[in-house]
Amino acid sequence: MTDYKVSLTGLHARNEKTIQATQDWERSRINEAALKATFDKDCDSIVELQKHVGAEYITDGQLTLAWQDLFRPISSGFEGVEPGPMVRWFNTNTFFYTPVVKGPISSDGKVLSRAIQKRFVNHGSSLKIILPDPLTFAELAEDRHYRSKEKVLFAYSDAIRKELRKLSSLGVKYVQFSAPSLVYRLTQKPFSSAAVKQLGESLRNALKGVSMRSGFYPFFGDASPYLPGLFDVIPTDDIGVDLTQTDDSSLSPTSKGIIAGVVDSRTTYLEDIALLVSRVERVVERTGVKTLTLAPSADLRYIPRESADEKLELLGRLRARVRHRTDSPKAKPPGRRGSK
Amino acid sequence: MTKAFPTQEIGSLPKFSWRTKPFRLLALTDDDLEGARQWGERLQVEGRTDLYRTLSKRYAFSDEEKKQIVDFSLLYAIRMGETAGEGLARKPGLDLVWSGEQARTEMYETPVSNISGFEFIGRVRSFDNKYWRMASVRSPPKYKENYHLEELLFTKEHSGRKIKVPVTDAITIMAWSDNNYYTGKWAKSGRLPPAKRSFSARREFTLELAKIIRRVIRDLIGRGVEEVQIDIPAATQYQSEDDIKLVAESFNETTKGLSATFSVHSCFPPSLGYGILFPHLLEMKNCERFSLEYGNRDTFERGLDAGSRAGFEDLKLFKEYGYRKQLGVGVIHIHTDTLPSVEVVRDRVLYSAKVTDLPPQNLYINPDCGLRTRRPEVAQKMLDLVVGGAELARRKAG
Repeated sequence: MTDYKVSLTGLHARNEKTIQATQDWERSRINEAALKATFDKDCDSIVELQKHVGAEYITDGQLTLAWQDLFRPISSGFEGVEPGPMVRWFNTNTFFYTPVVKGPISSDGKVLSRAIQKRFVNHGSSLKIILPDPLTFAELAEDRHYRSKEKVLFAYSDAIRKELRKLSSLGVKYVQFSAPSLVYRLTQKPFSSAAVKQLGESLRNALKGVSMRSGFYPFFGDASPYLPGLFDVIPTDDIGVDLTQTDDSSLSPTSKGIIAGVVDSRTTYLEDIALLVSRVERVVERTGVKTLTLAPSADLRYIPRESADEKLELLGRLRARVRHRTDSPKAKPPGRRGSK
Repeated sequence: MTKAFPTQEIGSLPKFSWRTKPFRLLALTDDDLEGARQWGERLQVEGRTDLYRTLSKRYAFSDEEKKQIVDFSLLYAIRMGETAGEGLARKPGLDLVWSGEQARTEMYETPVSNISGFEFIGRVRSFDNKYWRMASVRSPPKYKENYHLEELLFTKEHSGRKIKVPVTDAITIMAWSDNNYYTGKWAKSGRLPPAKRSFSARREFTLELAKIIRRVIRDLIGRGVEEVQIDIPAATQYQSEDDIKLVAESFNETTKGLSATFSVHSCFPPSLGYGILFPHLLEMKNCERFSLEYGNRDTFERGLDAGSRAGFEDLKLFKEYGYRKQLGVGVIHIHTDTLPSVEVVRDRVLYSAKVTDLPPQNLYINPDCGLRTRRPEVAQKMLDLVVGGAELARRKAG
């Protein structure tokens, strides 16, 4: 029997009020306290929606100023790293400041705990944090210190371990490593099996002594060149597959959990739920997966908030539908939120 | 152009508060009026007292008055370009000017508002606290009207310099839009692999748009435009080989059968750099000049060595591929108020000449991108640096 879950997999879109507040704050029309109050309300609404759709691990949306991009808490808070030139984030119209490694990477272990909304810890749900995986950090950072990707990989994972231990002690229950660099290899060959093994080691290093569930999610590309080996080499509890880029026929049986990026986070087009159901059922059939997390293909910050929330609601309906079919194939599934 | 290191802007300039507030139904303050006066005097804008008189009304402007305000903002922008570099150069002013896109809401919103098939759905964050208003394509796009004609006629009439019209290309409109209609259409092609399906949706959307933009440009050329800059900031967004070929295909489709000087602007590539565009970029046969951003990634150190000029590494690609036409080199990072010295700008120019091995008259100098996100005083300083740095480079190069 498969346990179906729903989860966000990246930074969420800000709502219109928050967008306006950030602009008003930049123009000194509102103060810091007013901006924070707006962010708080926005985070509350994201948390509420995740609970509504049945997410077990919830994020705070990671949409505050601390998370201007996925690297920002790290490039602004870790010793030895600084934000550098602005660069395009993969194939999106969003940009990030390159983390420039200027010295040994280290942290006081409190950087990420300052970036999350701690009020959501033990708030009736389990808090999840999403971070760049060591490979994506090493690939996108500008290394002026180590002059070695391997050294950056492990220095980053050392610093992350300290952070995760602190987060774990605070009650954070899940860490997802976002790994677009692994599969976004349009003009380059896939990484060698030795490189993927090294990545697995760096993740093992990051998770040593950390008591939280973990996931590894490579998105924005086709994971099939790494399958099925990826499931053995990467030491996280769940492994993700971006199914908007990867054919599900490349999946095979696994005892690990799967994060299935079934809903396209890059368009407001709402997928036909019947097609999604059959896709999910194919994944279950091929893999025999025990824990299947239904997810957007990537961050939902690439479309406006209302549409991002609709995608999350679609995932909630999909979960209800597949659970219902598993329990009682002929019964009618529940409807949309607010529908009569 | 026979001049060494000619200068150009990329397109947009910041809008003054007296330009934006009347359209947001906000009353003008003393500071707004003072800004109009100070810049009017500084730029010696002709007829400026008419503007001051209109602005003194402060609110509830009629449509005619709003039109006058927009016209003056075009005039201010033209003069900013034409006087750039005063005090730094013997002959100030950019060689190629435009009216700062003052008549446009923004480079994406204006075309999308004037092509049918789109619906605005909300704002999306680009970086930090910068957003764009995303439109969703809900039916095949169709030409409505020429959205650049009026600003062209005004700019042409009032500029004493050669003008270059920036026009947003199809790839960028596609990439910044929500591709709802074509995604849905291609979702039904179940036999294609997922990545192929989404590419097909992008391609069909892009080529429909290219036909519309060709019509817009054709009419501009008919009204006397000699140079058009095709703005493709999204050229490096989708990076598969098919997508890069599509960038060239879209440009060729847009310019097919048109007779003018065409240049291309792009900026902010992924960490892989502009290399991903090669060699397909060179298939844009009608393109006389690629104007790209480099200042963003450079150091603030003086020097002509590769270390000091780290941001300009990618320029070597053009030499490697035997490119001999023109380049526009972005020498000023436009997303910060921190400015390089004029000597650093000079070194950026000279280094660009060194690594490309192009004749100096083929190397245009410009800011990295449009300056709309800066305050007017910072934007002016950036244009001053472009003109001043190019002049110092000219002197040094002899």
